[in-house]
Amino acid sequence: MTDFLYPFIDGEERDAGALLEDLARSAEAKAAASDDLRRTTLDGLAGQLDAAATEMSARFVAGGRLFAFGNGGSSTDAAAVASLFGHPPSGRPLPARSLAADPAVLTALANDVGYELVFSRQLASSAGATDIALGLSTSGSSVNLLRAFEQAKRIGALTIGLAGYGGGSMAQAGTVDHCLVVSSDSVHRIQEAQSAVTFELWRRVQRCLVEGALDVD
Amino acid sequence: MSQWLDDQPVAVVSAELAFAALALARRFADGATLWCWSPGAPEHAQHVAVEFVHPVIVGTRALPAVAVADGDATATLRTMARAGDALVVVSSGDAAVSGLLKRTEAWGMTTIWMGCGPRPEASSADHLLWLSDDPQARHDGRLVLGYHLLWELTHVCFEHPGLLREPSATEGPTCTTCSDEGRMGEVVTSQGDDATVRTACGIETVTTLLVGPVAPGDLVLLHAGTAITVVDG
Repeated sequence: MTDFLYPFIDGEERDAGALLEDLARSAEAKAAASDDLRRTTLDGLAGQLDAAATEMSARFVAGGRLFAFGNGGSSTDAAAVASLFGHPPSGRPLPARSLAADPAVLTALANDVGYELVFSRQLASSAGATDIALGLSTSGSSVNLLRAFEQAKRIGALTIGLAGYGGGSMAQAGTVDHCLVVSSDSVHRIQEAQSAVTFELWRRVQRCLVEGALDVD
Repeated sequence: MSQWLDDQPVAVVSAELAFAALALARRFADGATLWCWSPGAPEHAQHVAVEFVHPVIVGTRALPAVAVADGDATATLRTMARAGDALVVVSSGDAAVSGLLKRTEAWGMTTIWMGCGPRPEASSADHLLWLSDDPQARHDGRLVLGYHLLWELTHVCFEHPGLLREPSATEGPTCTTCSDEGRMGEVVTSQGDDATVRTACGIETVTTLLVGPVAPGDLVLLHAGTAITVVDG
C-alpha cells in the first residue's frame, strides 16, 4: 500500500520472465565488453608485457622470488598470480607467494604499525635485490601498495604494478618499473582484464625461460 | 566473436546465469547465507565472498557470504549451514564436489556450480554454470567474469521485490519440497531399525528396515518415512 511512495519499485510484480530476459541480455553485453577490454588491453600492452616478462625471467634465473599483493578482490587475484607461477598447469614452477596469505602477519602489522605498511614491512624483512614485487589495484592509488613499491624499489627489487582507470598514483609514483594500466572505470571489468594480463605475463615468462632469451645479457 | 564462451552459445550460459541469480536473490531475501568453496584454489571462493560482503558499488546492499576453507568443506558446512542457505562452488569437474553436492540436498541448500574445463553432469547442482570447456578460462579472466556476473545479476534482482518471493514457496502445514518422492537425507544417529536423519525440512525419524544398518553421515534416499536406498556420498 506504499506503492505511491516508491512507484519505481513494483512490489506486486509476479512474472519473472521479463526480468530473466533482461538479466540474460545484460550478462551477454557485459561478457562482450569484458572480452573486448581483455583483448584491447593485451594488444595495447604487448610491448610492456614483453619487457616486464624479460626482466622477471632474469630475476627468476638469478634466484629471485615473486611477491604478489593487493587488497580485497585484488588480494585474491594476487593469490591467483602466486598460485599460477608457483603451481603452474604446465611449465616450470617458480618461487612465488602472496603477501596477504597469512592472517597472523597481516593483522599483527595492521594492528601495530598501520594498514598502509602491511605489505612494505613484509618486503622489508623478506625481499632482496633479485626479487620481484607485483601489486594489483583497480584504482592504482591504494596507499599500502604505494608504500610497498617504495620499499621494493629501495632494496633493488623489480616492481610491477597493475592498475585500472588512468593508472592512479601508481603511474605517477616513479617507483613502479612496469605499470600495466587497464583503461576502464569498471572495477569488475578491470579485474577481469588484470587476470588476462597476469596470465600473459606468466606465459611470456615461461617462454623466456625455455627459449633462454636471457643468456644474451 | 566472443572469446568468453568460444565453445558454446553465449545465450545458453547467460540464461543459466539469469536463473541462478534470481534463485540466489530469493534465497538472500529469505535470510540465506551464501557459502563459497573452491577446492584447490581458495582465492576464487574468497573473491566471490568479498564481492557480496563488501560490494564495489557504493549503495549496494552488503550480503552475508563466507568463503569455506580449502580443507574439509563437508564437516564445516554440516555444522555451519542452515536449511535455505546457498552454496556456490567454483571449480573444475571434481569427484569431491559431486559428493558434497549430493549431501547439500539433505541440508536444504540451493547449489550453484561454476567452472570451466571438462563439463560435469547437468544434474550435479541446482544451477550448473559452465563458462567454457577450455581449462585456461580459470586463469585468463573468464572465470572471474563468471562470478562477477553472478553478483551483478543478483543485485539487479533486488530491484524487483515482487519477484523475490518463491512462486512455489512453502505455505500451509505441508512442505512442498518434502512431498517429492525420493528425498535425500543424512543419517544423524541410528538405533535398531530406526534412524534420525537430517533433510531439507529438518530432523526426521525414518525406518531403515529396507536398507539394513546405517551409520552417521550415510546418505539415504527417503520415501514415505522409509530409507529406500543408501547413496554413495
